[in-house]
Amino acid sequence: MSIRELALVVFTILTQMTVGSFLVLGVVHFYTVRKKGMEAADRLSDRALLALVPILALAMLVSLLHLGNPLKAPLAVSNVASSWLSREILFTVIFGCCAALFVLLQYRKIGSFQVRNKIAWIAGLAGLALVYCMSRVYMIPTQPAWNSMATPISFYTTTLLLGSLAMGVAFIVNYSIESRKDTGCATDQCDVLFGALRGIAVVSIVLLGVEFVVQPVYLGYLATTSAATQASASHIVQDFSSVFILRLLLVFLGAGVFGAFLYKNTASDGSEAQVKYLGYGAFSLVLVAEVLGRFLFYFSEFRIGV
Amino acid sequence: MTRQYAFHVDISKCTGCKTCQVACKDKNNLPSGIRWRRVFQYEGGEWIEKDGQMIPSNVFAYFVSSACMHCEKPICEQVCPTKATYKREDGIVLIDQDRCIGCRYCSWACPYGAPQFNPEINAMSKCTFCYDLIEKGESPACVDSCPFRAVDFGPLEEIRAKFGTFSSPAPLPKPDITHPAIVYTPNGSTKSSGDVSGQLKNIEEV
Repeated sequence: MSIRELALVVFTILTQMTVGSFLVLGVVHFYTVRKKGMEAADRLSDRALLALVPILALAMLVSLLHLGNPLKAPLAVSNVASSWLSREILFTVIFGCCAALFVLLQYRKIGSFQVRNKIAWIAGLAGLALVYCMSRVYMIPTQPAWNSMATPISFYTTTLLLGSLAMGVAFIVNYSIESRKDTGCATDQCDVLFGALRGIAVVSIVLLGVEFVVQPVYLGYLATTSAATQASASHIVQDFSSVFILRLLLVFLGAGVFGAFLYKNTASDGSEAQVKYLGYGAFSLVLVAEVLGRFLFYFSEFRIGV
Repeated sequence: MTRQYAFHVDISKCTGCKTCQVACKDKNNLPSGIRWRRVFQYEGGEWIEKDGQMIPSNVFAYFVSSACMHCEKPICEQVCPTKATYKREDGIVLIDQDRCIGCRYCSWACPYGAPQFNPEINAMSKCTFCYDLIEKGESPACVDSCPFRAVDFGPLEEIRAKFGTFSSPAPLPKPDITHPAIVYTPNGSTKSSGDVSGQLKNIEEV
Protein backbone atom coordinates (compact mmCIF):
# COMPACT_ATOMS: atom_id res chain seq x y z
CA MET A 1 0.00 0.00 0.00
CA SER A 2 1.44 3.31 -1.09
CA ILE A 3 1.03 6.78 0.37
CA ARG A 4 -1.52 7.45 -2.38
CA GLU A 5 -3.90 4.72 -1.27
CA LEU A 6 -3.31 5.67 2.34
CA ALA A 7 -4.42 9.19 1.38
CA LEU A 8 -7.68 7.79 0.01
CA VAL A 9 -8.32 5.81 3.19
CA VAL A 10 -7.74 8.87 5.36
CA PHE A 11 -9.78 11.17 3.09
CA THR A 12 -12.83 8.91 2.82
CA ILE A 13 -12.88 7.94 6.51
CA LEU A 14 -12.41 11.49 7.82
CA THR A 15 -14.90 13.00 5.36
CA GLN A 16 -17.53 10.42 6.20
CA MET A 17 -16.89 10.89 9.92
CA THR A 18 -17.33 14.66 9.54
CA VAL A 19 -20.58 14.31 7.61
CA GLY A 20 -21.89 11.78 10.13
CA SER A 21 -20.86 13.99 13.06
CA PHE A 22 -22.64 16.97 11.55
CA LEU A 23 -25.85 14.99 11.05
CA VAL A 24 -25.72 13.40 14.51
CA LEU A 25 -25.05 16.76 16.07
CA GLY A 26 -28.13 18.17 14.34
CA VAL A 27 -30.37 15.36 15.58
CA VAL A 28 -29.00 15.49 19.14
CA HIS A 29 -29.38 19.27 19.20
CA PHE A 30 -32.98 19.00 17.96
CA TYR A 31 -33.99 16.58 20.71
CA THR A 32 -32.09 18.40 23.43
CA VAL A 33 -33.83 21.66 22.53
CA ARG A 34 -37.20 19.94 22.90
CA LYS A 35 -36.33 18.39 26.23
CA LYS A 36 -34.07 20.89 27.96
CA GLY A 37 -34.26 24.11 25.97
CA MET A 38 -32.00 25.96 23.56
CA GLU A 39 -29.34 26.99 26.04
CA ALA A 40 -28.66 23.50 27.32
CA ALA A 41 -28.61 22.18 23.75
CA ASP A 42 -26.12 24.83 22.58
CA ARG A 43 -23.93 24.15 25.60
CA LEU A 44 -23.81 20.47 24.66
CA SER A 45 -23.08 20.85 20.98
CA ASP A 46 -21.37 24.16 20.21
CA ARG A 47 -17.92 23.07 21.24
CA ALA A 48 -18.28 19.76 19.43
CA LEU A 49 -19.06 21.69 16.23
CA LEU A 50 -15.67 23.39 16.37
CA ALA A 51 -13.85 20.11 15.86
CA LEU A 52 -15.54 19.41 12.53
CA VAL A 53 -14.00 22.08 10.32
CA PRO A 54 -10.33 21.29 11.02
CA ILE A 55 -11.00 17.55 10.53
CA LEU A 56 -12.63 18.15 7.15
CA ALA A 57 -9.86 20.55 6.14
CA LEU A 58 -7.29 17.91 7.09
CA ALA A 59 -9.18 15.31 5.02
CA MET A 60 -9.17 17.57 1.97
CA LEU A 61 -5.47 18.36 2.35
CA VAL A 62 -4.62 14.67 2.68
CA SER A 63 -6.66 13.89 -0.45
CA LEU A 64 -4.21 16.04 -2.44
CA LEU A 65 -1.46 13.51 -1.66
CA HIS A 66 -3.33 11.13 -3.92
CA LEU A 67 -2.74 13.36 -6.94
CA GLY A 68 0.21 13.45 -9.29
CA ASN A 69 -0.20 17.19 -9.60
CA PRO A 70 -1.91 18.68 -6.48
CA LEU A 71 -1.55 22.28 -7.70
CA LYS A 72 -4.07 21.65 -10.44
CA ALA A 73 -6.59 20.11 -8.01
CA PRO A 74 -9.22 22.85 -8.63
CA LEU A 75 -9.62 21.50 -12.20
CA ALA A 76 -11.18 18.39 -10.64
CA VAL A 77 -14.66 19.95 -10.66
CA SER A 78 -14.61 20.47 -14.45
CA ASN A 79 -16.59 17.38 -15.40
CA VAL A 80 -19.63 17.50 -13.12
CA ALA A 81 -21.77 16.54 -16.12
CA SER A 82 -20.40 13.00 -16.30
CA SER A 83 -17.76 12.25 -13.64
CA TRP A 84 -18.80 11.15 -10.15
CA LEU A 85 -15.35 12.15 -8.99
CA SER A 86 -16.06 15.76 -10.01
CA ARG A 87 -19.40 15.57 -8.22
CA GLU A 88 -17.73 14.17 -5.11
CA ILE A 89 -15.25 17.05 -4.99
CA LEU A 90 -18.00 19.59 -5.68
CA PHE A 91 -20.15 18.31 -2.81
CA THR A 92 -17.13 18.14 -0.51
CA VAL A 93 -16.59 21.83 -1.16
CA ILE A 94 -20.30 22.70 -0.76
CA PHE A 95 -20.57 20.69 2.44
CA GLY A 96 -17.31 22.14 3.77
CA CYS A 97 -18.29 25.76 3.06
CA CYS A 98 -21.84 25.45 4.44
CA ALA A 99 -20.67 23.56 7.52
CA ALA A 100 -17.89 26.09 8.18
CA LEU A 101 -20.31 29.00 7.73
CA PHE A 102 -22.80 27.36 10.06
CA VAL A 103 -20.15 26.68 12.70
CA LEU A 104 -19.04 30.33 12.57
CA LEU A 105 -22.59 31.71 12.84
CA GLN A 106 -23.67 29.23 15.48
CA TYR A 107 -20.62 29.62 17.67
CA ARG A 108 -20.76 33.43 17.56
CA LYS A 109 -24.58 33.42 17.58
CA ILE A 110 -24.72 35.59 14.46
CA GLY A 111 -28.02 35.74 12.59
CA SER A 112 -31.39 34.36 13.59
CA PHE A 113 -31.98 30.74 14.55
CA GLN A 114 -34.06 30.26 11.38
CA VAL A 115 -31.22 31.40 9.09
CA ARG A 116 -28.68 29.23 10.86
CA ASN A 117 -31.09 26.33 10.76
CA LYS A 118 -31.46 26.67 6.99
CA ILE A 119 -27.69 26.70 6.46
CA ALA A 120 -27.38 23.62 8.66
CA TRP A 121 -30.01 21.84 6.57
CA ILE A 122 -28.19 22.70 3.34
CA ALA A 123 -24.90 21.46 4.84
CA GLY A 124 -26.54 18.25 6.07
CA LEU A 125 -28.13 17.49 2.71
CA ALA A 126 -24.88 18.31 0.88
CA GLY A 127 -23.14 15.90 3.26
CA LEU A 128 -25.58 13.12 2.42
CA ALA A 129 -25.12 13.85 -1.30
CA LEU A 130 -21.35 13.83 -0.80
CA VAL A 131 -21.39 10.31 0.68
CA TYR A 132 -23.64 9.18 -2.18
CA CYS A 133 -21.26 10.64 -4.81
CA MET A 134 -18.33 9.10 -2.97
CA SER A 135 -19.89 5.65 -3.31
CA ARG A 136 -20.72 6.22 -6.96
CA VAL A 137 -17.06 7.06 -7.66
CA TYR A 138 -16.28 3.41 -6.95
CA MET A 139 -19.35 1.95 -8.63
CA ILE A 140 -17.86 1.63 -12.11
CA PRO A 141 -18.78 -1.28 -14.37
CA THR A 142 -15.16 -2.39 -14.73
CA GLN A 143 -14.76 -2.79 -10.93
CA PRO A 144 -17.33 -5.46 -10.10
CA ALA A 145 -16.31 -5.82 -6.44
CA TRP A 146 -17.09 -2.14 -5.89
CA ASN A 147 -20.02 -1.93 -8.27
CA SER A 148 -22.71 -3.11 -5.86
CA MET A 149 -25.15 -1.67 -3.37
CA ALA A 150 -22.75 -2.75 -0.63
CA THR A 151 -20.59 0.30 -1.40
CA PRO A 152 -23.18 3.00 -0.58
CA ILE A 153 -24.63 0.95 2.29
CA SER A 154 -21.25 0.50 3.94
CA PHE A 155 -20.23 4.12 3.28
CA TYR A 156 -23.42 5.43 4.92
CA THR A 157 -23.00 2.96 7.79
CA THR A 158 -19.45 4.16 8.38
CA THR A 159 -20.67 7.76 8.16
CA LEU A 160 -23.29 7.36 10.87
CA LEU A 161 -21.34 4.94 13.05
CA LEU A 162 -18.16 7.01 13.20
CA GLY A 163 -20.17 10.23 13.29
CA SER A 164 -22.18 9.04 16.31
CA LEU A 165 -19.26 7.73 18.30
CA ALA A 166 -17.02 10.70 17.43
CA MET A 167 -19.73 13.03 18.71
CA GLY A 168 -20.03 10.86 21.81
CA VAL A 169 -16.36 11.58 22.49
CA ALA A 170 -16.85 15.28 21.70
CA PHE A 171 -19.78 15.51 24.16
CA ILE A 172 -17.74 13.79 26.87
CA VAL A 173 -14.79 16.16 26.38
CA ASN A 174 -17.19 19.11 26.29
CA TYR A 175 -18.81 17.96 29.53
CA SER A 176 -15.43 17.70 31.26
CA ILE A 177 -14.67 21.29 30.29
CA GLU A 178 -18.14 22.60 31.17
CA SER A 179 -18.31 20.90 34.57
CA ARG A 180 -14.85 22.16 35.48
CA LYS A 181 -15.82 25.72 34.59
CA ASP A 182 -19.17 25.69 36.36
CA THR A 183 -19.89 22.97 38.87
CA GLY A 184 -23.42 24.28 39.41
CA CYS A 185 -24.58 23.13 36.03
CA ALA A 186 -23.17 19.65 36.41
CA THR A 187 -26.38 17.75 37.13
CA ASP A 188 -28.34 19.25 34.29
CA GLN A 189 -25.54 18.90 31.72
CA CYS A 190 -24.87 15.39 32.99
CA ASP A 191 -28.49 14.50 32.21
CA VAL A 192 -28.15 15.92 28.73
CA LEU A 193 -24.86 14.10 28.17
CA PHE A 194 -26.21 10.77 29.37
CA GLY A 195 -29.31 11.18 27.23
CA ALA A 196 -27.22 11.88 24.12
CA LEU A 197 -24.83 8.99 24.82
CA ARG A 198 -27.75 6.62 25.34
CA GLY A 199 -29.09 7.52 21.90
CA ILE A 200 -25.62 7.14 20.38
CA ALA A 201 -25.24 3.69 21.99
CA VAL A 202 -28.54 2.54 20.49
CA VAL A 203 -27.61 3.88 17.04
CA SER A 204 -24.22 2.13 17.08
CA ILE A 205 -25.75 -1.21 18.11
CA VAL A 206 -28.28 -0.93 15.27
CA LEU A 207 -25.56 -0.01 12.75
CA LEU A 208 -23.45 -2.91 13.97
CA GLY A 209 -26.41 -5.10 13.10
CA VAL A 210 -26.49 -3.57 9.61
CA GLU A 211 -22.76 -4.27 9.12
CA PHE A 212 -23.17 -7.85 10.29
CA VAL A 213 -25.95 -8.41 7.78
CA VAL A 214 -24.26 -6.58 4.89
CA GLN A 215 -20.83 -8.23 5.25
CA PRO A 216 -21.91 -11.88 4.76
CA VAL A 217 -24.39 -10.94 2.01
CA TYR A 218 -21.64 -8.98 0.24
CA LEU A 219 -19.13 -11.82 0.54
CA GLY A 220 -21.78 -14.17 -0.83
CA TYR A 221 -22.31 -11.80 -3.75
CA LEU A 222 -18.56 -11.68 -4.44
CA ALA A 223 -18.20 -15.44 -4.21
CA THR A 224 -20.96 -16.16 -6.69
CA THR A 225 -21.08 -13.34 -9.25
CA SER A 226 -18.09 -13.56 -11.60
CA ALA A 227 -14.45 -14.56 -11.86
CA ALA A 228 -13.48 -10.97 -11.08
CA THR A 229 -15.58 -10.76 -7.91
CA GLN A 230 -14.31 -14.19 -6.85
CA ALA A 231 -10.76 -12.86 -7.10
CA SER A 232 -11.77 -10.01 -4.78
CA ALA A 233 -13.50 -12.40 -2.38
CA SER A 234 -10.47 -14.68 -2.14
CA HIS A 235 -8.30 -11.59 -1.59
CA ILE A 236 -10.43 -10.65 1.42
CA VAL A 237 -11.03 -14.03 3.02
CA GLN A 238 -7.68 -15.65 2.19
CA ASP A 239 -4.90 -13.09 1.73
CA PHE A 240 -6.28 -10.64 4.29
CA SER A 241 -8.30 -13.00 6.47
CA SER A 242 -6.65 -11.80 9.69
CA VAL A 243 -7.40 -8.15 8.87
CA PHE A 244 -10.97 -9.09 7.98
CA ILE A 245 -11.52 -11.01 11.24
CA LEU A 246 -9.81 -8.32 13.31
CA ARG A 247 -12.04 -5.68 11.70
CA LEU A 248 -15.20 -7.63 12.56
CA LEU A 249 -14.00 -8.31 16.11
CA LEU A 250 -13.12 -4.67 16.77
CA VAL A 251 -16.38 -3.28 15.43
CA PHE A 252 -18.30 -5.87 17.45
CA LEU A 253 -16.35 -5.00 20.57
CA GLY A 254 -16.58 -1.23 20.03
CA ALA A 255 -20.12 -0.75 18.76
CA GLY A 256 -21.66 -3.88 20.30
CA VAL A 257 -20.05 -4.62 23.67
CA PHE A 258 -18.91 -1.10 24.58
CA GLY A 259 -22.14 0.24 23.08
CA ALA A 260 -24.24 -2.05 25.28
CA PHE A 261 -22.34 -1.08 28.43
CA LEU A 262 -22.58 2.57 27.43
CA TYR A 263 -26.34 2.18 27.16
CA LYS A 264 -26.58 0.34 30.46
CA ASN A 265 -24.44 2.84 32.36
CA THR A 266 -26.17 5.90 30.95
CA ALA A 267 -29.64 4.45 31.52
CA SER A 268 -28.99 3.61 35.15
CA ASP A 269 -26.95 6.56 36.42
CA GLY A 270 -23.62 4.80 36.13
CA SER A 271 -20.46 6.58 37.20
CA GLU A 272 -19.28 9.45 35.00
CA ALA A 273 -15.78 8.03 34.82
CA GLN A 274 -17.01 4.69 33.51
CA VAL A 275 -19.20 6.36 30.92
CA LYS A 276 -16.24 8.45 29.76
CA TYR A 277 -13.99 5.48 29.21
CA LEU A 278 -16.75 3.52 27.50
CA GLY A 279 -17.31 6.42 25.11
CA TYR A 280 -13.60 6.82 24.32
CA GLY A 281 -13.16 3.06 24.01
CA ALA A 282 -16.11 2.54 21.69
CA PHE A 283 -14.94 5.30 19.35
CA SER A 284 -11.31 4.14 19.25
CA LEU A 285 -12.21 0.52 18.56
CA VAL A 286 -14.71 1.39 15.85
CA LEU A 287 -12.34 3.91 14.24
CA VAL A 288 -9.61 1.25 13.93
CA ALA A 289 -12.20 -1.25 12.65
CA GLU A 290 -13.50 1.13 9.99
CA VAL A 291 -9.99 2.07 8.87
CA LEU A 292 -9.14 -1.62 8.48
CA GLY A 293 -12.41 -2.11 6.61
CA ARG A 294 -11.52 0.70 4.23
CA PHE A 295 -8.08 -0.82 3.61
CA LEU A 296 -9.83 -4.08 2.72
CA PHE A 297 -12.13 -2.16 0.40
CA TYR A 298 -9.16 -0.80 -1.56
CA PHE A 299 -7.31 -4.12 -1.43
CA SER A 300 -10.36 -5.88 -2.87
CA GLU A 301 -10.04 -3.81 -6.05
CA PHE A 302 -10.00 -6.09 -9.07
CA ARG A 303 -10.53 -4.43 -12.41
CA ILE A 304 -11.86 -6.59 -15.19
CA GLY A 305 -9.81 -6.79 -18.38
CA VAL A 306 -6.07 -6.57 -18.78
CA MET B 1 -12.06 13.08 -42.30
CA THR B 2 -12.76 9.71 -40.73
CA ARG B 3 -15.14 9.67 -37.77
CA GLN B 4 -13.40 6.86 -35.97
CA TYR B 5 -9.89 5.52 -36.47
CA ALA B 6 -9.32 1.88 -35.53
CA PHE B 7 -6.51 -0.66 -35.35
CA HIS B 8 -6.66 -4.09 -36.92
CA VAL B 9 -4.47 -6.88 -35.57
CA ASP B 10 -4.15 -10.22 -37.33
CA ILE B 11 -3.61 -12.77 -34.56
CA SER B 12 -2.92 -15.48 -37.13
CA LYS B 13 0.13 -13.54 -38.33
CA CYS B 14 1.44 -12.38 -34.92
CA THR B 15 4.44 -14.27 -33.53
CA GLY B 16 4.65 -12.33 -30.29
CA CYS B 17 7.95 -10.67 -31.22
CA LYS B 18 6.83 -7.40 -29.57
CA THR B 19 8.44 -5.20 -32.20
CA CYS B 20 5.24 -3.10 -32.14
CA GLN B 21 5.65 -2.59 -28.39
CA VAL B 22 9.28 -1.58 -28.74
CA ALA B 23 8.63 0.70 -31.72
CA CYS B 24 5.87 2.42 -29.71
CA LYS B 25 8.17 2.96 -26.73
CA ASP B 26 10.89 4.27 -29.02
CA LYS B 27 8.73 6.63 -31.05
CA ASN B 28 6.96 8.02 -27.98
CA ASN B 29 10.07 8.01 -25.80
CA LEU B 30 8.32 6.16 -22.97
CA PRO B 31 10.08 5.67 -19.65
CA SER B 32 10.74 2.27 -18.15
CA GLY B 33 7.57 0.52 -16.99
CA ILE B 34 5.21 2.33 -19.35
CA ARG B 35 3.91 0.36 -22.30
CA TRP B 36 1.24 1.98 -24.41
CA ARG B 37 1.18 -1.14 -26.57
CA ARG B 38 1.38 -4.51 -24.89
CA VAL B 39 1.46 -8.05 -26.27
CA PHE B 40 -0.47 -10.63 -24.24
CA GLN B 41 0.48 -14.29 -24.46
CA TYR B 42 -2.56 -16.51 -23.95
CA GLU B 43 -2.08 -20.26 -23.55
CA GLY B 44 -4.08 -23.29 -22.55
CA GLY B 45 -4.70 -26.96 -23.08
CA GLU B 46 -2.98 -30.03 -21.70
CA TRP B 47 -0.81 -33.03 -22.52
CA ILE B 48 -2.19 -36.55 -22.24
CA GLU B 49 -0.33 -39.79 -21.64
CA LYS B 50 -0.56 -42.38 -24.40
CA ASP B 51 1.60 -45.52 -24.69
CA GLY B 52 3.97 -44.17 -22.08
CA GLN B 53 4.46 -40.91 -23.95
CA MET B 54 3.11 -37.42 -23.29
CA ILE B 55 1.20 -36.15 -26.30
CA PRO B 56 -0.17 -32.67 -26.67
CA SER B 57 -3.92 -32.89 -26.71
CA ASN B 58 -5.56 -29.50 -27.13
CA VAL B 59 -2.59 -27.25 -26.42
CA PHE B 60 -2.84 -23.77 -27.88
CA ALA B 61 -1.08 -20.42 -27.63
CA TYR B 62 -1.49 -17.08 -29.33
CA PHE B 63 -0.55 -13.45 -28.91
CA VAL B 64 -2.82 -10.43 -28.62
CA SER B 65 -1.19 -7.10 -29.38
CA SER B 66 -3.26 -4.39 -27.74
CA ALA B 67 -3.06 -0.67 -27.06
CA CYS B 68 -5.67 1.97 -26.33
CA MET B 69 -8.79 0.93 -28.23
CA HIS B 70 -9.89 4.54 -28.82
CA CYS B 71 -13.30 3.29 -27.77
CA GLU B 72 -16.53 4.57 -29.21
CA LYS B 73 -17.73 4.90 -25.58
CA PRO B 74 -14.49 5.72 -23.75
CA ILE B 75 -15.07 5.11 -20.03
CA CYS B 76 -11.83 7.00 -19.30
CA GLU B 77 -13.32 10.17 -20.81
CA GLN B 78 -16.55 9.65 -18.90
CA VAL B 79 -14.88 9.36 -15.47
CA CYS B 80 -12.09 11.95 -15.90
CA PRO B 81 -12.83 14.73 -13.39
CA THR B 82 -10.87 17.42 -15.23
CA LYS B 83 -11.91 16.78 -18.86
CA ALA B 84 -8.23 16.13 -19.55
CA THR B 85 -9.26 12.99 -21.42
CA TYR B 86 -11.16 13.77 -24.59
CA LYS B 87 -12.16 12.19 -27.86
CA ARG B 88 -11.24 13.97 -31.07
CA GLU B 89 -13.53 14.25 -34.06
CA ASP B 90 -11.55 11.49 -35.74
CA GLY B 91 -12.25 9.19 -32.76
CA ILE B 92 -8.74 9.31 -31.30
CA VAL B 93 -8.84 9.51 -27.48
CA LEU B 94 -6.15 11.78 -26.05
CA ILE B 95 -5.08 13.10 -22.64
CA ASP B 96 -4.37 16.80 -22.30
CA GLN B 97 -1.44 16.49 -19.92
CA ASP B 98 -1.68 20.15 -18.94
CA ARG B 99 -5.13 19.47 -17.49
CA CYS B 100 -4.40 16.03 -16.03
CA ILE B 101 -4.04 16.11 -12.22
CA GLY B 102 -2.78 12.53 -12.04
CA CYS B 103 -5.64 11.14 -9.95
CA ARG B 104 -5.40 7.87 -11.92
CA TYR B 105 -9.16 7.40 -11.90
CA CYS B 106 -9.06 6.52 -15.64
CA SER B 107 -6.68 3.65 -14.89
CA TRP B 108 -9.22 2.22 -12.40
CA ALA B 109 -11.88 2.39 -15.08
CA CYS B 110 -10.25 1.38 -18.39
CA PRO B 111 -10.59 -2.39 -18.90
CA TYR B 112 -7.66 -2.36 -21.38
CA GLY B 113 -5.11 -0.84 -18.98
CA ALA B 114 -4.46 1.86 -21.56
CA PRO B 115 -3.99 4.97 -19.39
CA GLN B 116 -0.76 4.66 -17.44
CA PHE B 117 0.75 7.09 -14.95
CA ASN B 118 3.97 8.68 -16.15
CA PRO B 119 6.00 9.67 -13.06
CA GLU B 120 8.28 11.87 -15.19
CA ILE B 121 5.43 14.31 -15.85
CA ASN B 122 3.17 13.38 -12.90
CA ALA B 123 0.29 12.84 -15.31
CA MET B 124 -1.44 10.02 -17.11
CA SER B 125 -0.26 8.97 -20.53
CA LYS B 126 -1.63 6.70 -23.22
CA CYS B 127 -1.49 5.67 -26.87
CA THR B 128 -2.07 8.69 -29.10
CA PHE B 129 -2.64 6.61 -32.24
CA CYS B 130 0.51 8.48 -33.41
CA TYR B 131 -1.88 11.22 -34.52
CA ASP B 132 1.13 13.37 -35.39
CA LEU B 133 2.24 10.79 -37.97
CA ILE B 134 -1.29 10.22 -39.25
CA GLU B 135 -1.73 13.94 -39.81
CA LYS B 136 1.38 13.82 -42.00
CA GLY B 137 -0.14 10.95 -43.97
CA GLU B 138 2.07 8.34 -42.33
CA SER B 139 1.17 5.28 -40.24
CA PRO B 140 1.41 4.72 -36.48
CA ALA B 141 4.80 3.36 -35.36
CA CYS B 142 3.37 -0.03 -34.34
CA VAL B 143 1.78 -0.51 -37.77
CA ASP B 144 4.92 0.29 -39.73
CA SER B 145 7.24 -1.69 -37.49
CA CYS B 146 5.48 -5.05 -37.55
CA PRO B 147 7.72 -7.43 -39.52
CA PHE B 148 4.76 -9.72 -40.21
CA ARG B 149 2.41 -6.92 -41.28
CA ALA B 150 -0.01 -8.10 -38.60
CA VAL B 151 -0.95 -4.59 -37.42
CA ASP B 152 -2.99 -2.28 -39.59
CA PHE B 153 -5.13 0.81 -39.10
CA GLY B 154 -7.80 2.83 -40.87
CA PRO B 155 -11.34 4.13 -40.50
CA LEU B 156 -13.34 1.69 -38.37
CA GLU B 157 -15.98 1.13 -41.05
CA GLU B 158 -13.36 0.23 -43.65
CA ILE B 159 -11.49 -2.02 -41.21
CA ARG B 160 -14.73 -3.81 -40.34
CA ALA B 161 -15.68 -4.17 -44.01
CA LYS B 162 -12.29 -5.76 -44.73
CA PHE B 163 -11.70 -7.84 -41.60
CA GLY B 164 -15.02 -8.41 -39.82
CA THR B 165 -16.09 -7.32 -36.35
CA PHE B 166 -14.34 -9.67 -33.90
CA SER B 167 -13.08 -7.41 -31.12
CA SER B 168 -12.69 -9.56 -28.03
CA PRO B 169 -10.06 -12.31 -28.03
CA ALA B 170 -9.25 -13.64 -24.55
CA PRO B 171 -7.68 -12.32 -22.35
CA LEU B 172 -9.23 -9.01 -23.43
CA PRO B 173 -12.56 -8.10 -21.79
CA LYS B 174 -15.95 -8.21 -23.46
CA PRO B 175 -16.53 -5.16 -25.66
CA ASP B 176 -19.96 -4.18 -24.34
CA ILE B 177 -18.78 -1.66 -21.73
CA THR B 178 -16.67 0.63 -23.91
CA HIS B 179 -17.27 -0.40 -27.55
CA PRO B 180 -13.59 -0.58 -28.55
CA ALA B 181 -12.59 0.59 -32.04
CA ILE B 182 -10.63 -2.56 -32.84
CA VAL B 183 -10.85 -5.59 -35.09
CA TYR B 184 -8.89 -8.80 -34.52
CA THR B 185 -8.49 -11.57 -37.05
CA PRO B 186 -8.38 -14.76 -34.97
CA ASN B 187 -6.08 -17.70 -35.59
CA GLY B 188 -7.38 -21.26 -35.38
CA SER B 189 -7.25 -21.46 -31.60
CA THR B 190 -8.25 -17.92 -30.59
CA LYS B 191 -10.74 -17.95 -27.71
CA SER B 192 -13.26 -15.26 -26.94
CA SER B 193 -13.45 -12.99 -23.88
CA GLY B 194 -14.54 -14.78 -20.76
CA ASP B 195 -12.74 -17.99 -21.78
CA VAL B 196 -11.43 -19.96 -18.80
CA SER B 197 -9.64 -22.75 -20.67
CA GLY B 198 -6.47 -20.70 -20.99
CA GLN B 199 -4.38 -18.27 -18.98
CA LEU B 200 -2.41 -15.09 -19.50
CA LYS B 201 1.13 -16.46 -19.41
CA ASN B 202 3.38 -13.42 -19.61
CA ILE B 203 1.89 -11.39 -16.82
CA GLU B 204 5.33 -10.17 -15.71
CA GLU B 205 5.93 -8.73 -19.18
CA VAL B 206 2.73 -6.75 -19.50
